[in-house]
Amino acid sequence: MTDRHDHRIEIDKDAVRRDLMKLVLTIVELLRQLMERQAIRRVENSELSEEQEEDLGTALMLLSDAMDELTEQFGLTPADLNLELGPLGPLLPRDR
Amino acid sequence: MITYLYAVGRDLELPDDGSRGIDGGELRLVDEAGLQAVVSDVEREAFEDLDEHREDLTWLAAVARAHHGVVAAVGRDHAVAPLSLATVYLDDDRVRAVLRESREAFTAVLDRVEGRDEWGVKAYVRPGAGKAAATDRPTSGAAYLRARREALRAGDAAVAAAEREADEVDAALAALAVETRRHPPQDRSLTGRAEQMVLNGAYLVERAGADDLRALVEKLASEGSLDLELTGPWVPYSFAGGAT
Repeated sequence: MTDRHDHRIEIDKDAVRRDLMKLVLTIVELLRQLMERQAIRRVENSELSEEQEEDLGTALMLLSDAMDELTEQFGLTPADLNLELGPLGPLLPRDR
Repeated sequence: MITYLYAVGRDLELPDDGSRGIDGGELRLVDEAGLQAVVSDVEREAFEDLDEHREDLTWLAAVARAHHGVVAAVGRDHAVAPLSLATVYLDDDRVRAVLRESREAFTAVLDRVEGRDEWGVKAYVRPGAGKAAATDRPTSGAAYLRARREALRAGDAAVAAAEREADEVDAALAALAVETRRHPPQDRSLTGRAEQMVLNGAYLVERAGADDLRALVEKLASEGSLDLELTGPWVPYSFAGGAT
């Protein structure tokens, strides 16, 4: 009886952990996409020096890699990192 | 008990396939001003506070299924003007009054849909369209930004091109149709498909033109770059507006 009880709590804990991680990753992904678009806009407007462009691009590339790794680690897909906002549509664009 | 109104038509007969109404209610015809309304009795309480029930999807689904079942059964052999879901009146006398008052509007709708069917055509962006071929991992930060910029642009351009093509498909279908309606494209959560919907059209087509429509949809699908989905024939829900 006790075993089963413990087991059940364990599952709940995992689910909570996973859901929380999903929410955190969703917010990080939103910020990442916003930063990426902002960077692209600044490159288009020639606001950045070559060096700045390279640094920003590298940082964003590494962030994107890290996001992919984390997402996979928690058994999530990019589509999971999205919230339906009802009539406003999805939080993130579907195809990134 | 109050009276639930499903559809209005001329020279209607009740379906003889044992169709029943909401909650298994027996179907009746209410005759007035040369029109017949298909009705059944429903519990007053259930429809009195509709807002409360709007959240109850199980109840709504059951009502919708029964409603569409009756409309489809009656509409199989007759032109009908289907009423919107959950149209209820206090009693049969009120239904008679509505038939009298809205006689012209009902007649106009019935004239419009007589001998014609509604068909639905949905168009989806074909999977993989506009996606750049998998490129090698960028070698520098600047190259990464350029690649992302191209990918975002290509995505936007692909959607814009698909929407343009959807307009062309709509125009080609409209040439075969008596009337058309373009409903807003449905969200992916509703369609259950990963591809984006760019056209959600309804076409009122002469019954004799059904084969032409099928052939045209096939031709458009094979020549174009959109996935087309043809559904029908339906009772002309999209073209029954304006009667009530």
